[in-house]
Order: sequence, then C-alpha cells, then structure tokens
Amino acid sequence: MRRVVTNERPDWQERAREFGFKFHTMYGEAYWDESAYYEFSLRQIEDHIEDPTEELHQMCLDVVDKVVNDEELFAKFQIPEQHWDFIRRSWLNKEPSLYSRLDLAYDGKSPAKLYENNADTPTSLYESGFWQWLWLEDKIVSGVLHPNSDQFNSIQEKLIERFRSMGEIYPEQLLHFSCCRDTEEDRGTVQYLEDCAQEAGLFTEFVYIEDIGLGEIELGDDSGRCIPAFTDTDDQVIDWMFKLYPWEFMLREDFGGYFSKAQTSWIEPPWKALLSNKALMPLLWQLFPNHPNLLPCFFDEKQAAQHLNSYVKKPIFAREGANVSVFENGEMTYHSDGPYGEEGFIFQEFYPLPCFDNNYTLIGSWLIDNQPAGISVREDSTLITQDLSRYLPHIICP
Amino acid sequence: MKRTRSINLERMRKLEDDNLSQPTPLRSKLKPLAVSVAAAVLVACSDGGEEAVVYSDIADCISKNPDQVDVCESAYNDAVNVAQESGPKYTSLEACTYDFGNRNCVPYQADSGQNWFIPAVAGFMLAEVIDEVGDAFERRRYRSAPLYTSYSRYSPFYGQWSSVDGYTYGTSRYGKIKVSDNAFKPKPKITRTISRGGFGSTVAAKSNWGGSSKSKGGWGSSKGGWGG
Repeated sequence: MRRVVTNERPDWQERAREFGFKFHTMYGEAYWDESAYYEFSLRQIEDHIEDPTEELHQMCLDVVDKVVNDEELFAKFQIPEQHWDFIRRSWLNKEPSLYSRLDLAYDGKSPAKLYENNADTPTSLYESGFWQWLWLEDKIVSGVLHPNSDQFNSIQEKLIERFRSMGEIYPEQLLHFSCCRDTEEDRGTVQYLEDCAQEAGLFTEFVYIEDIGLGEIELGDDSGRCIPAFTDTDDQVIDWMFKLYPWEFMLREDFGGYFSKAQTSWIEPPWKALLSNKALMPLLWQLFPNHPNLLPCFFDEKQAAQHLNSYVKKPIFAREGANVSVFENGEMTYHSDGPYGEEGFIFQEFYPLPCFDNNYTLIGSWLIDNQPAGISVREDSTLITQDLSRYLPHIICP
Repeated sequence: MKRTRSINLERMRKLEDDNLSQPTPLRSKLKPLAVSVAAAVLVACSDGGEEAVVYSDIADCISKNPDQVDVCESAYNDAVNVAQESGPKYTSLEACTYDFGNRNCVPYQADSGQNWFIPAVAGFMLAEVIDEVGDAFERRRYRSAPLYTSYSRYSPFYGQWSSVDGYTYGTSRYGKIKVSDNAFKPKPKITRTISRGGFGSTVAAKSNWGGSSKSKGGWGSSKGGWGG
C-alpha cells in the first residue's frame, strides 16, 4: 500500500459535468482529489480487506441476532421501546438489505481495525462505484496506468444485481427514492442509486423526506378497516422506499408512530438501526474479544480507563465527527463540539489513522448484498481535524 | 478482475440538454376525487419503445391468442383491478359523463362502501416482457394496463386511448401499438394525504446547531449531508 502522486486528467472537470458529478468541490474546498492515488497489492486487498470485511459483517449480524432476542441489550441501543417490535420483526422476516460501509484503519501491514459500521445511510457511493471506476478507465486509455491495473470496485455491478434480485422479492412495485432537501451530495447519491435501479429494470419515483405525506388505505381484507400509508406528492401510496435518512431520526419524528402499521417495505430495512448504532461496537468486543480486526470498546468509561491508556469517547448517535473527545493517559487531548450525545456514549481504544505523506488515510469497505464489493479511500491532512476529508481513487497493482 | 466489467455510460451521462437518457414524464394529475383531464401527454413512441397489443376484452384476446387463455384472463383482470384502484373516480355521473361521454360511465362501489362513477375500461394493453435471467435462460412475463377512451368532444381523450394516470396512446384502435416502457409503470394506490412534513425535523434541528456543520470527522464519520 502506497500513495502515488499523479497528474490530474486535464479534462476531469468536463467529465464531471458530463456525468453530473456536482459535489467534487464542497464548501470551497476540493473533495475529489486525483492528484494522487493509493496503490494496493492483490494480497492486501483480498486477505487484509475483503476477507475481514466479510467476517466483520457476519459478526455484526450475529450481534443483531442476539440483540433482537434480548431486551436488556436492546435498551443499550437507545431506540424508543415502542419500535423494538418493528425492528425485531424486520430482522425475523429477513427483510433484505442493500448496502453497508465499514470504516477501517489500515496501513498495508497490520490487521485492519473497524472504527464503525455505516450500515444505514452510507455515502460516497457514487464516487466509489462509478467515478473512481471512470478515473481508472480514463487513466488506462490515456496510457498513464498499465492496462492490467485493477481496482477493488464491483460496487455498481453488484448494486444493479442486488436491485434486480430485490425486484423479485417485491414484484411489480414502484420503488420510491428519498433524501433531504438542500444537499447536493445526498441528492447525487440517491440519483446514482436510481440509475442503478432503473438499469436493473425497476420503476422509480423520487420524493424529498420533508415532502412525504401520510394518508390511509383500506386493509384489503374486506373488513373495510384502514391502515396508515405514506404518500408522495402525487398522493401515490409508497409501497417500497429507499431513504437516505437515518432510522434513529425517523423513529423519533412525528410520523414515527405509523411505522409498525404502515405496510411500506424499507431500504435499508429497520433492523439496520441496530447495525449503524455505535452501541454495536462494545457488543462486538464482548462477543468477539481480542478479535484482530476489532478495537477494545466499552459502554463504561471506568472500564475503558482501566483497560486502555488512551481512548475515544463517541456519541451513540452522531454525524460528521461531532461530539468526539480523545483521552490520553487520563488527559483530554481533543474535543469537538456538536449537537449529539444526549443518548449516551461509547469508549473505544484510541487507534490513530495511518499516515501517508502527511495525510491520514481512512478506508471505507463496501458491502452490497452482504458481499464485500469495493473500497473508498479518504484522506485528512491532520489526524484530528474539523476540515473536509478528500476522496482519492485507488488501484490494485498489475 | 476485481472491478465492474462494464458500465452503461449512456445511462450515467447527465448533460442538461440530454433529456433522452433520463425521461421525466409529465404527469397529468388524475386525482381520485376532483378529476381534471385537461393535460394529456402523448407517450406513444414512433420509434423504439415497447410493442404492445390492445384488446377490447378477454374474448378478443383469446380469439387472437387461442393458446394463451390464462394470460388473457389474468391480464384483463389485472387491468380491471388497476382501473378500480388507481383510475379516475367521480362522485357524480354527470361529471364522469362530461369527461368520458354518454353511456361510458359505470357505478362502482369501493370496499369501504363508498359509491363512485368510473369510466368503463374500453380495452387493455398487453405486452410480453422477456427478462434475461443469468446467461443461460430467459423468462417470460406479461404486463398489462387498462385503457379508457372518451366519447366526449370536450375531452382531450376524445377518440384517444388514455391510461389511468392521464397519458394518451394515440387514436383508439385495437391492435398493435408502440408504447414507452412507462406505460406499464406500476400504479400504486392513490389516497388522500392527510398531513405532510412528519419527517425531516431532526435534520432541521441539528443543522440549526451553530457549530461545525461543515466539518468532516477524522473518525470515519461523514462529510456534510445526512448520509454517513
């Protein structure tokens, strides 16, 4: 694994316009960065990332299976009790999931360590599945990279295949896609998924999260009884929906009370509320202690202080790295503010990101349909930062 | 090879002036209660698209496809069900007749007991779909959709085939037509929306927090937006 400096494609901005990649620059700073790429050996990809990804994912599913059958554990996830049955049923019914992204710290030598599981609303999917794929094609065509260069990235192929198989689980259903208003990045991610779903032969609609309505439909059992139904802006009933909006928010919002009665099928399914929750991390450590790809993690700060020289305190629910503190040898050495933390915290061993040419590098390892499907590489220029991280492409050496 | 073998770049292209790759059909709003059929959209394709055949009823379908009795029956029944669940409904015979013409509207009682007048199903489209499943075999499926026509000269559907959601498919003649794939887009139930805005409040509240809304985490969380 190494970082290789390269020239940008002279026409990449034009390519971005051609393919509608609008969020390559955010808040005035570069997000997509092709002034360098990461190079991996096939062995690093397969033995150090792909295999552990599959194993970690299965371990995470084992935790879900335990939690849905244990109310004491369920309580640790800070999910309102009224929704436990809704989540439990979705797991027992094996409602299919589309994708997840495991965030790994990996330096090319030591075992990859799992930071967290973005199992509900992972982004950087378009950049990973399509845009870095196109970058490699262009680099090979222009002769800069060897024709046998490869990439760990079958994301788009697997997404289309997964949508096709889901179309057989929910035949003849319209799939509604949804995300919040005013975020170009989320809208771009959802557009990408719509493109993949259409490529798989599904029919799609789009509605913003804020515009979702609530109506009633007849139960259809001749009793004349009605059940709640979510609707789009054309008053069409939403039978099947992909939402790029976290379960932990939706469950607590005004329409949250209608989930268990409405008959909508969800992507991601409700049981993903357990996987994307940081309470997963201490439970993984309890179930699989000393696993080489796990970091020690605890619910209790005293326990963490007893076992670990340095640890990170993370809120159970959070976005954007907010409300994180680092403790080294009993001293708080870093703290970020934010609106999260009211639901409690977890305490994970402080394991710094590896450094390549003064950049700190994080691997996102994707699963589509429970199979490892590719990686994304993101960089920050400081170890602990409030800056935007940048997305860099990668290759597997020929 | 550890990467996607090939990608349909045409689908991925998003040039602003290129509407062909991303058709966004205009939809005339046929609502269940107050029906307005003013805006009709012609979606029959002169070239490309899917080939469908319009039959007047089960008997017509069977007479032309004697070995497909089951397909004809289920396609017609599906079409009638779609018409009842998703098609235009009127509270008065006069309103329905105004849009669809004399002796073209029938009473219909919903499961809830509510009484309506709905236009008669004048025919149904049937198209064969061949799904490619794997490399070795393919599977046949059929898609059907109900069609109305209007005898009212006040209606944009006068002498035309129209669908439950207000598309028109050209002059109402039976037989082969070419239609876009959207003709068979699944028609979800339509209901009256009682309230909106019950989702999205958390994102509003959290973004109002004055801190690092543009920050990115070094802990593997996310960039802006609410994906992770």
